[in-house]
Parts: sequence; structure tokens; C-alpha cells
Amino acid sequence: MLDQALLDHVPFYPQEKYQCGPASLATMLNTQGLATDPEILKELVYLPGRQGSLQVEMVAGARSHDMVVYPLRPNLEAVLGEVTAGNPVLIMQNLRFNWWPQWHFAVVVGYDSEEEVLILNTDTRRHYRMPYKVFHATWNRADRWAVVILPPDSLPATAETLPYLRAAHDLESTGHTRAAQQAYQAAEQQWPDQPAPIMAQGNLAYDQGNAEGAASHFLRAVNRFPDFSEAWNNLAYALSARSCPEQASKAMACAANLNPERFGQAPELPKGTTGGSRSSCPPIPDCPADTTER
Amino acid sequence: MNSLRRHMKQLSLIMVILMSFATTFSVSAHAGMVGTGELIQQQQTDLDRQQLLDMLEDQNVQDKLAQMGVSEAQVAERIQNLTPAELADFEQQLAEAPAGEGVVGVIVLFLLVFIITDMLCATNLFSFINCIR
Repeated sequence: MLDQALLDHVPFYPQEKYQCGPASLATMLNTQGLATDPEILKELVYLPGRQGSLQVEMVAGARSHDMVVYPLRPNLEAVLGEVTAGNPVLIMQNLRFNWWPQWHFAVVVGYDSEEEVLILNTDTRRHYRMPYKVFHATWNRADRWAVVILPPDSLPATAETLPYLRAAHDLESTGHTRAAQQAYQAAEQQWPDQPAPIMAQGNLAYDQGNAEGAASHFLRAVNRFPDFSEAWNNLAYALSARSCPEQASKAMACAANLNPERFGQAPELPKGTTGGSRSSCPPIPDCPADTTER
Repeated sequence: MNSLRRHMKQLSLIMVILMSFATTFSVSAHAGMVGTGELIQQQQTDLDRQQLLDMLEDQNVQDKLAQMGVSEAQVAERIQNLTPAELADFEQQLAEAPAGEGVVGVIVLFLLVFIITDMLCATNLFSFINCIR
């Protein structure tokens, strides 16, 4: 890691009274090329009654702009790692005491590890140098909450497969399916040895009524990960929805063979609604469980 | 000690509820597609479990276990039987433990779980614990 870094391209919005939430969210979003501003975001994340913003609203506010909100591991290294990679980090602090909190959002835009300072865009100060010690105390009291906010086609520097997929899945379940699909795709490229990103794409297609797309994702999954019973199971459902009962029951049998405890007593597959011709059904690969038994 | 025991009872009640939830979910999850959320949860559990098992390889941990008269195999088996809720709880506490205290922290956490499950009569590792049933 570098000794120091400063992300000079990160814009700065001095906060107005109590409005650190909208100001720091605007900082985060506009760094990614959006053109919003604190005034607009105020509607989204500022609660006048509480004179502030809540974490959940900050996260929801970023998601509503089709961004992936990735929570960092609760340590300073993760924060510095993201900054080194060029990603500003949104953090929460408690500037007072646990029993009388004053919550505050700020954006980490740099650091100097020799002087042991973090460089923050905070309240009305740009590039404010805060000693590690002070930062730690205030950050600890806010449960070390830190996130990066990125468009779905670029991954955080410290991203790990499952937390990233969870962040992408949160996008999907809040209705941002296109962005979620992009994030799943980016995850598949980043972690080609993991079945979960492919499964997520298949499930997304299936949920949108795209049985053909779903089947092709699940087929890719069973080709690359033949022992992954969940992929065979979901493939069976997608093929069934495509009106390929023969292939579907083969896939289902394979899932049951690979994992009898979980898929052994599979219910009858739902019949597909579209009367597609059988000839268009894709061939499915051999089940690994068949070959080992013989 | 009495107050500790009182808390332990409440804690064990919570654990019972959590465990029964975990069972209910895993039974109802059988039919149908494996959803993305479910898959992530399940893989996270496997990963957490593996991380805990890997920690048993540490020489310091093995020495400590030997000191306390608990065999590595017993602990490994206990890890295999941890519910997702228990695992998630461990991960949470591990993440919050200051760096460097990880190894000792794990042991303390394990002891806690063993004590609770002993009280529930699920295991019988510590003779000084009275089974609540």
C-alpha cells in the first residue's frame, strides 16, 4: 500500500446545517459520474424531524441511483485499500458519546500513513486531516460503518464474493434488476471459480419469466461446476418452464443423485406454459453422479 | 455466580428459539428453486464453518485445547454441528475481536457454546454443568 494518497477528483459539497447526509451522498454519487446535488438528495435522505439522515436511507438513496453499496470490513486497512484503489469511502462517525450520540457522515478521500492522518471531506471542510486516533474513536462509536458506492460494472478493491453478491442481491430485491444483472456478471468475471454469480444470473432470468435465458445460465453452471447440485436442481426448473420435460427430469435426477438429502424427494416439476417444440431443447451434459456409480 | 447462571438461562432460551428457527427454515427450503439469497446464506455458512475448522490447525489452539482437556476431534465435530445462526454469531464476534486476540477469542467463544449446549443436554463435555432438563 502507498504511504499516502489523495483523491483530488472527488467533488466537495460543504454541508448546510445538519445536512452531512445529502452532502456526502452527493460526493459519493458524483464521483461516479452522476450529476446530482445535495439539494435533490435532501428529499431522499434527510429527515427534518431528526435533523439528520439514517444509514438505511443513505444506502437506499444510493441504490435508487442503480449503484452497488458495498459494506467494508470493519478495519482501517479496508478503508485505506479502497482509497488507494481510487474509491472514496463513505463512513459514519459518532462525534459525541455513546449515551448522547451525534451521528455524522463524512467521505474519506485520502490518507498519509507517515503522519497517521486520514483526509476527509467533512462538514464544511475539504481535505480535513484527521489523526487516526481521533478517527478510530469516533468511527468505533458508530460500529465502524464504512461503504463504497460503485456502479455495478466495477468492483470494489476489497470485494469478496459473498458480501459482494449480497450487495448485488439487495439491488435485485429492491427492483433494480438491470443493475443487479450487471453486478452478477462482473462478479462472474472476477471470480470464475465460484458458481454463485452464475446461479444468481439464472435465478434473475427465471424470476423475470425468461426461462430460456435462465436455462442457458444454469447450463453454464453445470458445465463448469458439474458437482454443484443446486445448479442441476435449478436447471431442472428452468428446463421444465421451457417445456423440456425429458431434460428437466434428467437434471432433477442428477440433483437428487448428487445430494439425496436435499433434493432426493423433489416435488413434481411444474409444467411449462409455453408449448415450445421439443427439438429446441438444449442437450444437457452427463451427470457426474452417474459415471461414478457405474 | 448466581447472576451469571440466571443470564445463562435466558441466553440458552434464546439459543433454543434460534435453533428451532434454523431447523424450520432448512426443512421448508427443500422444495423448488434454490434462490439467490438462500444460496448466498448457505455458502456463507459453509465458508464460516471452514474458517473455524482451519483455526483448529493452529498449534497455539491445539496446545490450549490440550491444556483444557478437550480433544480437537470433539471441537471439530461440534463445529460441524453448529447452526447457521451460531456460526454467524461467531463470525460477528471474531470480526469485532481486536487483531491478535483471535486465537484465544475463538477458544473462549467455543467454551461459551459448549457450556450452553451442555446445559441443553446436547453435549456432555463439562461435568460441572447441570443439565437443565
